[in-house]
Amino acid sequence: MCRLNGSLLIFALLSAQAMVGENSPFAELPVGPLQEKATAACTSCHEARIIVQQRLSKAAWTKEMDKMIKWGAEVDSKDRDGLIHYFSTSFGPDQATYEAPRTAAHASPKVRLKGKH
Amino acid sequence: MEIEMGSRREFLRTASAGALAALTSKTLLGAAAGQATISVPGKEGLIVRSYRFLDLETPVEYMTDWITPIPHFFVRNHMFEPAEIDAKEWTLGIGGEVDKPLSLTLADLAKIPVYSVTNTLECAGNGRSQQSPRVPGIQWGKGAVGNARFSGPSLKSLLEKAGVKDTAKHVVFRGSDVVPGKVPPFIRSIPIEKAMDVDTLVATHMNGAALTPHHGYPARVITPGWAGAASCKWLTQITVQDKPADGNFMLPGYRMPNQPVKPGEAVKPEDTHSVTGLAVKSLIAGPIDGAKLKPGSQVVRGVAWAGEADITRVEVSTDGGASWNLAQLGKDQAKYAWRLWSYPWKPARSGDYTILSRATDSQGRVQPDAAVWNPSGYFYDACDQVKVYVQA
Repeated sequence: MCRLNGSLLIFALLSAQAMVGENSPFAELPVGPLQEKATAACTSCHEARIIVQQRLSKAAWTKEMDKMIKWGAEVDSKDRDGLIHYFSTSFGPDQATYEAPRTAAHASPKVRLKGKH
Repeated sequence: MEIEMGSRREFLRTASAGALAALTSKTLLGAAAGQATISVPGKEGLIVRSYRFLDLETPVEYMTDWITPIPHFFVRNHMFEPAEIDAKEWTLGIGGEVDKPLSLTLADLAKIPVYSVTNTLECAGNGRSQQSPRVPGIQWGKGAVGNARFSGPSLKSLLEKAGVKDTAKHVVFRGSDVVPGKVPPFIRSIPIEKAMDVDTLVATHMNGAALTPHHGYPARVITPGWAGAASCKWLTQITVQDKPADGNFMLPGYRMPNQPVKPGEAVKPEDTHSVTGLAVKSLIAGPIDGAKLKPGSQVVRGVAWAGEADITRVEVSTDGGASWNLAQLGKDQAKYAWRLWSYPWKPARSGDYTILSRATDSQGRVQPDAAVWNPSGYFYDACDQVKVYVQA
């Protein structure tokens, strides 16, 4: 996990919250009791889209989870099994293929940020 | 392109700007209902496999040009792109098993004779999503591949400037991409023989323009004909060694089993080898999968490449592989570059058709009907296939 300082982390979470939805460039993890913890553990290094496109068995998710913990994902040991269950039931081999978005087809217009952002 | 995506430092600001730009561009461009679009300046109509860090795939229907335009060229990042690179401050170090370690500026590089190589760059994991059972990693469809003209000094000329010692066996590349958490850095090496091949470049230009940040500005390695992972972006350090680089991206990363293995079967490191040259492959750029075609004459077209070998033949089947017909190869060709191909087709009846393409290369390699499954999903090379419907 990136070592973000406290205020930056809060800002990051607020920004992420403000940006989710149809026009967010970021994918979201599915609703569930561990959504928040999974989002915190995974998305400071990479966005959720890398997770939601996988279609893996529980054994493969277990391997991925342990690799990511080794690589710095901050996961409480009591949440490990629950997170593996959350990922393997949400993104198992039988789920339909993830439909990825595309980048805008033409050069983007210049956007001036005024006021809120 | 002015905006750099995907760096940790720039993440929050860019993300907010990106969200607003996506909203605005969607409104202005009138994107098809239900089709989400994301703004990535300089990259147009690409499939977003990941936004942060950035991984973008080229839709196959764009593969109708011999040279892939930069806005359509795929992006594969393992980490965050460096936030900002000051061209005046940038240096490239060359050290290790050399007589005279060097630190070169961009101005130094510009004084060295420039070579150009038109190279088809493909990610080792291209096609991974077509493997069954699925394996972890970016779930690339067919389009983590593109063909561009790269220019810059040959790596050989730089190594000779530093004076390579007899102990030199491998050349390690390090880029300035930003590593999050405890993730191992993206460091890989290539054998000295490939490093001293005059076609292996420290490229500063792509399609005649300075590299863009997504493609490794200000300098990147181009190891032609090899999987993209051998072509380190944002290059800052070259280290000559008597052994290959250590670390995750050499072992267990980017390795293939020496023999086919079953899903779930353990593979010992000594039974694997590092990925090198690309497989022989073809893709159908059109008609696209699921197309409903008007009756009458059609053209099946696409691209074919073979890493360090040359394409000698592309065949097309319009009856699901029962019979094959020679496609015509495009006139544009260069060592390491893909060939365009086309096959004129007049369907005899309306109905469903399965169209296949199959490439053969100068080493006698032929695209197989099915790819060999492997634990990391590298080098998916089965004959390409699209299903279309011809209307009455």
